[in-house]
Amino acid sequence: MDLMLLAPEIVIALTGLAVLLIGLFLPTGSKKILGYLASLGVLVALGLTISSLGTEALVFYDTVSIDALSQFFKIVFLVVALLFTISGIKYTEGNSNTEEFFALGLFATIGMMFVASANDLMVLFVAFELASLATYALAGFEKNNAKSLEAAMKYFIIGSLSAALMLLGISYVYGATGTTSIPEVAANAGILASSPMGIVAVVLLIAGFGFKIALVPFHMWAPDTYQGSPSVVSALLAAGSKKMGIVAALKVFVVALIALQAEWQTAFAILAVITMTYGNVVALNQTSVKRMLAYSSLAQAGYITMAFVVLTPLALGGGIFYALSHGFMKAGAFIATAAVTYMVLSENKESPDPDHIDNFRGLGKRMPVTALCMTIFVFALAGIPLTAGYMSKFVLFSSTIQAGFAWLAVIAILNSAISLGYYAKIVKYMYFLPTDSEKVAEPYPYTVAMVVAAVGVLAIGFWSEPFIYWAMEAAKVLVGGM
Amino acid sequence: MMPILSMIVLIPLIFAALALLTKTKEQARAIALAGTVIVLLLTVYMYFNFDSTIADNQFKELVPWVESLGINYHLGVDGISMPLILLNAIVLPLLVLFTWNDDRKSPNKFYAFILATEGAVIGVFTALDFFLFYIFWELTLIPLFFMVSIWGGPNKHKAAIKFFIYTHVASLVMLLGIFGLYFAAWDMTGTPTLDIPTLIAQFQFIESGIAKDMIFLALLFGFIVKIPSFPFHSWLPDAYTEAPTAGSVLFVMLKIGGYGLFKIMLPMLPFTASPNLMITIMASLGSVSILYGAFLALSQKDLKRMVAYSSVSHMGYVTLGAAGLVSLSVSGAMFQQFSHGLIMSIMFMSCGIIKNVTGTRIINDLGGLAQKMPKLAVIMVLTFMASLGLPGLSGFIAEVSVLAGSFVNLPSYVMIALVAIVITAAYHLWALQRAMFGVYNEKLGTVTDINTYQTLSMGVIAILILYFGLNPSPVLEMMLTNSEQIVSLMAVMGV
Repeated sequence: MDLMLLAPEIVIALTGLAVLLIGLFLPTGSKKILGYLASLGVLVALGLTISSLGTEALVFYDTVSIDALSQFFKIVFLVVALLFTISGIKYTEGNSNTEEFFALGLFATIGMMFVASANDLMVLFVAFELASLATYALAGFEKNNAKSLEAAMKYFIIGSLSAALMLLGISYVYGATGTTSIPEVAANAGILASSPMGIVAVVLLIAGFGFKIALVPFHMWAPDTYQGSPSVVSALLAAGSKKMGIVAALKVFVVALIALQAEWQTAFAILAVITMTYGNVVALNQTSVKRMLAYSSLAQAGYITMAFVVLTPLALGGGIFYALSHGFMKAGAFIATAAVTYMVLSENKESPDPDHIDNFRGLGKRMPVTALCMTIFVFALAGIPLTAGYMSKFVLFSSTIQAGFAWLAVIAILNSAISLGYYAKIVKYMYFLPTDSEKVAEPYPYTVAMVVAAVGVLAIGFWSEPFIYWAMEAAKVLVGGM
Repeated sequence: MMPILSMIVLIPLIFAALALLTKTKEQARAIALAGTVIVLLLTVYMYFNFDSTIADNQFKELVPWVESLGINYHLGVDGISMPLILLNAIVLPLLVLFTWNDDRKSPNKFYAFILATEGAVIGVFTALDFFLFYIFWELTLIPLFFMVSIWGGPNKHKAAIKFFIYTHVASLVMLLGIFGLYFAAWDMTGTPTLDIPTLIAQFQFIESGIAKDMIFLALLFGFIVKIPSFPFHSWLPDAYTEAPTAGSVLFVMLKIGGYGLFKIMLPMLPFTASPNLMITIMASLGSVSILYGAFLALSQKDLKRMVAYSSVSHMGYVTLGAAGLVSLSVSGAMFQQFSHGLIMSIMFMSCGIIKNVTGTRIINDLGGLAQKMPKLAVIMVLTFMASLGLPGLSGFIAEVSVLAGSFVNLPSYVMIALVAIVITAAYHLWALQRAMFGVYNEKLGTVTDINTYQTLSMGVIAILILYFGLNPSPVLEMMLTNSEQIVSLMAVMGV
């Protein structure tokens, strides 16, 4: 077995352990170095993954598969992890638990990466749990902040419940087919389809993944958790962890359980429509920017879920491409919010709602770079042309029409129009409402992370060809199982 | 060869970014003037190198962009777009001159939005790829939205939102039509393309008649709302009236709805499943707009609102002429777009000046302004005459071609439009008489005539109205070439 195939994972694991170990011996003041180390590790892993695009292999007795799909999603996760570690440098400044923050973030990333390359339901589940456990702890990282603890608690309880449901669903699949290997399940799914166990398994799995992807009505935890967690962690949750749910669902439903398509396709159609509509409508009225982004994240998950309904190669490619764009846009937006929160808290430690939209007033004057980046992110999320968000919507929505689901495309397009309402509100606050506060210095690491994300958003929007090509290659991996 | 089309699209956008960075009014207006003048010079150069005897796209630029989806960076101009680019290139520097001495908040943003609109509108006129077309199409919305919502009148927010939502929904419907066309062609040929000429050519091979009609209607809806035509015109009076003067002029320059009608709809029309139904729809919308807009204009108390409604009426000629389907009516409708752009610019500039010097636009509160503002009066009278269709001025050529040409195929619709001519004359003359002539209303206090910059910019446009009224051939010739090509398609299909 060629270990080089797993080099990105190994690099991340070693970096995580090194960060944890070195952190023990460093005084709090000099722990900043850990953030740089973590970022470097992620960057190396990202480079290794990009250079290995196009390789195909099965390792660990066929339980882990390296293919275009896994590599594409690994890039998504590593990009989010990179943004997370860079902005974490500032966030953890002066915190004595810095090493835990980065180690947990890196371990979560390994979990996500293994989900992306899992070729066996058990590997998938274990990796899923690895990522989840690390993020539960991260959500509660601010130990003295009641909101953060509430967020972690809620996330943990509901996450565990969903894991239990998922495991139960997997056990039904195993019970009927006698295997946990995804290709073999796919080959034997006929048995499952002809027995009532099939329905039970599908229901349990949809509920299990529905929690992770935060599809309405399994979304209740998401707004509270995204709002309560530190913004940098929310970025990891919304942009990374959610994508993990999507890639896992792609593997389980589109590859393993394609024979039961009739059972789950309609369910996903209903979930997609409810989720995007609910998310966009509720987001309109939010005054907490993080909560607004959480609901917008629901809506975006609803769009991506359309790929499960349409199921053509173009739609799946569109969904996968959307996942990449969403990683940049949403992580960027949360990091911009983190920068604002940091600014507010450094002015007034007791500020009750540092992410309140009133704090965005006149941001264009106070923090010009942050405001510009935030504008790019929200416009991209709204699907304004020449951004990643527009290209993704273009591919995904148009594929929906191609497959004859014009009604779904109409609903999605109307939803995009609604979403412009709250995204424009943020821009209005930043540029058109006056403020009497002064210009402030923008925290450097946050700025770097935001600019990286903004460049990504614009690059995908302008120079989409390679990204779309690899998303389509990734989709071919899924469709090969059909 | 120099990529001249990219330059006239990108230069305004680059200068818009530069203008945004300026601190003072003086810097911002200088950059705006420089940007628009460069575009004018390039456009004039292009005009003199343009071959008006062929209907094909010229100055083409083609760079592959996203190949797996068939998206190309493809630009070109033909006889339909060239005059409209010329119109924008001529009016925009004059508009900058017109606003030269105005004081307003954030002049940097103001001039940036003017330049951004110019770039986006020219982008729509030159794009030969639906993807690019749609991007520029949507891009025109953003600066205009801010133009209204920052510098507009008392109801600016409501007007801006109404304009934005109305036209955004219309463009989304248009997008659905584009998708339909794209995938229908993709299924037939096996290769994706968003190239406008290719897709228009492949439209006829789509098998399902319902699909063809749905695609056509979806695209038509997007264009009709933008023109705008009755019954989708209700965003126009609010947006035009609430916008600042420069914003209203930019709205007038936004001839992208009518452009889409000629460039995309008419070549597809004969191949729809029910061409006669489509012609009926367009002709009735056009003639009703002419009549209804005229009646609404007649009942307005506010001068600017009257001008806005007269715009609905005049744009009805564009739709009617397009539906007339003989080369005289089609080229007349194209010429109406050009002439209307010139005429309406002056009309809105006049409204802006009157509001500025007297503080009101209510026609009844004005009176006798000609005594105090002779220069404005001369220009206004000329423009009002052009607008009501006096022979010798550009409006006459356009309207007479549309009406005479359309009479061949659509006599009954032309009869409806003819009724409107009387009303049009009535509201123009009545407004002019009450606002400008008669006894001077002393309540207005002291008023001063237009300044040199305003005289210059309005005067040049007025001279152009007169020039194109006497000699329309510099632009009409290329319009005729293209309309003959469109009409020959109809003849082939026996429509």
